[in-house]
Order: sequence, then structure tokens, then C-alpha cells
Amino acid sequence: MDKAAVEILAKRAGLAKALAEFPDDVAAAARQAADVAAKIRPPADGPRAEPWPPMRAGEGL
Amino acid sequence: MNVEVSTAGALSGNELHWLSVAEAAHAISAKELSPVELTRALLERIERLDPRLNAFIRLDADQALATAHAAETEIMAGRRRGLLHGVPVGIKDIIDVAGLPTTCHSKILRDNVAASDAVCVTKLRGAGAIVLGKLSTHEFAIGGPSLDLPWPPARNPWNPDHHPGGSSSGSGSGVAAGLFPMALGTDTGGSVRNPASCCGIVGLKPTYGLVSRRGVFPLSFTLDHVGPMTRTVADNAMMLECLAGHDPLDPGSVAAPPGRYEAALERGVRGLRVGFVRHFHEIDMPADPEVTAALQHVALSLQMAGAELADIVLPSLGEFGAVNRVILQSEAWSIHAPWLRERPGDYGHFARRRLLAGAFMSSGDYVLAQRRRREMIAAVEAVFREVDVLLCASSMDPACRIDHVEDVERTYPRQARTPFNVTGHPALAMMSGLSKAGLPLSVQFVGRYFDEATLFQVARAWEQASGTDRKHPSIG
Repeated sequence: MDKAAVEILAKRAGLAKALAEFPDDVAAAARQAADVAAKIRPPADGPRAEPWPPMRAGEGL
Repeated sequence: MNVEVSTAGALSGNELHWLSVAEAAHAISAKELSPVELTRALLERIERLDPRLNAFIRLDADQALATAHAAETEIMAGRRRGLLHGVPVGIKDIIDVAGLPTTCHSKILRDNVAASDAVCVTKLRGAGAIVLGKLSTHEFAIGGPSLDLPWPPARNPWNPDHHPGGSSSGSGSGVAAGLFPMALGTDTGGSVRNPASCCGIVGLKPTYGLVSRRGVFPLSFTLDHVGPMTRTVADNAMMLECLAGHDPLDPGSVAAPPGRYEAALERGVRGLRVGFVRHFHEIDMPADPEVTAALQHVALSLQMAGAELADIVLPSLGEFGAVNRVILQSEAWSIHAPWLRERPGDYGHFARRRLLAGAFMSSGDYVLAQRRRREMIAAVEAVFREVDVLLCASSMDPACRIDHVEDVERTYPRQARTPFNVTGHPALAMMSGLSKAGLPLSVQFVGRYFDEATLFQVARAWEQASGTDRKHPSIG
């Protein structure tokens, strides 16, 4: 992710102060997020694979 | 260097600090040991050793002694509260204890005084435990061993120049050093089992939903667990007996049948089917040779005791780790975003970097991780149709030096604990041996949902064969 993209995303997330005071930390966090997300494979079951936990009406409250 | 201790003479000598929970509770119940005498002995040891170990953020000595006196009066009058009556416990400082600050080891919550006990603390008090105080953690259970926080990081009693693991670092350090025989930790990506591994004690991440998280500061809603940390397997089972149970006000809590954990301890492993997940430490993240040799030794020992061993293949550690991180950092961001926007300078360096990452995860990343999570759960569940318990690595390396930032960063992700936060299966880490440098090595056992009893069964068999419950650091 290039510097301009990091700045746009950081400002959109409300991190203007962090960007001004800790630019290296913000850049490292953006790099880390991109690296880790790229390691997840698509689900083996394709488009039908549902997330966990499933929605269950009437339960949980 | 380590010492092997027999507790047979501990009651008459000056080694009350090495009494197990079970031994102390039994002696107190039999009126052979006063809770006041035990608490005083531990407070004296804390005063002597904690300046080197930093296990405590806040010691509540006066209240602990007052509770010990009350326990003594009750026991002498024949009123026993429960399994842990008169036995001291330490509490990780992201868990609420009424009247004490829950700081999360952070400037952000320095003055955050808890109005009431967390459910897990209520349960331990109900069983008669004496709360000694609040213990060091990595900041918000996600930072590292930071030197830029209001309190110093805990250190490893086997060698105070080394990292005790985290994030429940004070819990691991204090239990291993004999400052208290039991502690509460929390585990979102391995934070009970990491310090258990680094400090050579027993740490359990129970099944997701077995122990209430109400009153615990959240890190990641769908990955957080509360777990017991002790020096023996039997003590861990005792603590879990007291902690387990449905809490209708914790959305993740499950009404599971009672575990009867202690009854499983001495069953042995004859006929038990043990799945050995070798690829975690041989292929996915090649472990330190001493770690590998110790794991092989554990496997052979269980086989010699009658267990049936089979090699098992699961999804790779790299992908388990990525799924854990995306979920954890996305959920943590939703908690910390307001403070990260307004007070980024009040976080330490490690926590700030790790928590900021959540701002750059997309909704697509999070949902993809949750979809893969479902498949990973199915993969582990399929394996448990073939075997009764899994054996695998916990940490791939012995604890590194605490002041070596690069080594801390390098070794931290080299572990096989996050898979079972992703899937929610119960997992227990304990000592597998000692390295040539005298630092603990570790092994992990993983069980079916709500089958902590089998974990204790196999862990106890290994403990009996190896004597790990009698190995303590020679810190003083």
C-alpha cells in the first residue's frame, strides 16, 4: 500500500492525530493488515461458504 | 538452573510457597495450615522477589490478610466455603476486582476502578479463594513486553533476563515463581498458554463459552477466553471446576453439563487415541530442535503408557494465524477506535501498532476470515471423529531475552496456539522439559468441545511420567 493510500484510509478511519504523531506506526499497521489479509485463502466451498457463527433467529438474546 | 521440590515437608519447613492448590486446600481444611500463615508467607515472598519479577501491578496485601483472617475464623468454626477456601490467587489486570483499578496495564485506563467483581472472580471468591492483587499483562492483552508503560513488564522467574510470555505475563511469572499457586489469565491468541509455555506451568484455554467473560475487558469478542493457570494439572482441574458454568448475561456463554474434571485425572491413557499434529512444528514453522525433541519424547511417553498414536493433518499454521489476526484486530479496532483517534500517544508502542492494524482491515477481510473459520472448525471437528485428543507444539522456541525487541517480534508469532482460539476447542499447554539453557519447553494438548476432562487425563499422565509439577525455578 503506498503512502497516499495509507493516508487516505487513515484519515477516513479518523486517525489524523495518529498519522501526525506516529506516522511510522500507522504505516506499519497498514502494511501488517495488508500482509495478513492476503494470507487467507478463498473458502473451499466457493460462494456458498457461510461465515461463522451462523445467523440463528430467536437465539442468543 | 532448577530445583526439584518434595512438598512432603513443606508444611513444617519454609517452603509453603511451593504447596499446590490441592495440598494447601487440603491442609487448610484439615486445620493443619492457617490461611493467614499461608498468605503471610506468600506476601513475604512477593515483597522479596517481585521487585525482580514485576508480576504485580497492584498488591492488595491488607485486604488479602483480612480475607485470610476471615477464612481462618470460618474454617475453625467448621464452615468451608468450597474447594479453594483459604488459598490465594492472582488476577490478570484486565479482569475486574471490585474496588481495584482494572488498568489493562495501560495509561488509558489508569484510574478505571471496577465497581464489581468479574463473574470468574466472584466464582473463585465463592469457592473461598483469597485475591492477592492485580497482575501485569501486555497492554490491553495485545501489546508486547513494553518499557513505555506506567508499569514495567513482568519477567521470567527461570531467568529474569528472559520474556515470561504474554499476554498473561504476571500470571505466568507469579505462579512459576511461587508467589501464588494459581492465577487467572485470558487467552485470545494464546495468552494463557504462552506464559504457561515460557514459565513451565499449566495453562488452560477452556472451550469457548465454558467460562464467563463478563467483567473482563474485551480484546476480541469471538476469540476471548478466561483460563486457569497453575503449577499442577490437578490444580488446574480444581480451578476449572469452580470457574465453569453458564452465565446468561455473557452472550457467548454455553450451558454445558458439569465436567467432573478431577475424576478424570488418574484414568491413564491406555487405549486413548492421540493425534500428533507434526506438520505444525516440522513444516509450517520449523521449531527449535530442543522443542522438537521434547515433543517427540512426550509422544513416545504417552505411547509407552498405552496410548495409540496417529499423525494428523490440519490447515496450515500460517492460515490459522492470519484468520486469527484479521478477526482479532478487526474486533479490537471496533473497541479501541475512539481512544486511538483521540489519545494515540497514551498507548505503548507495541499495542498502538497492533491495534491500529484493525483500521486497515476491510469488511471483506473480516467476513472472509469468518468464512474460512467455519471451514477450519469443520476440519478440526472431522479429526475428532478419528482421535480423542491432539498433541502439538505450543511455542516453537524457548523464551527469548526480554530486552531483545527483534527476538520478541520474531518468536511471538512462532506458535501453534491461535488455531484453537479460531475454532474454540479447549487447549492446555504445559512443560515438556527444560532446554540446555534451563528454560522451559512446552507441549499442547487439544480436546473436543467441552471435553476438558480428557485434556486433564492426558496432561496428568504426562505430568506423572515426567515430574514437571516438581520442577521449579531456583529464583529464591
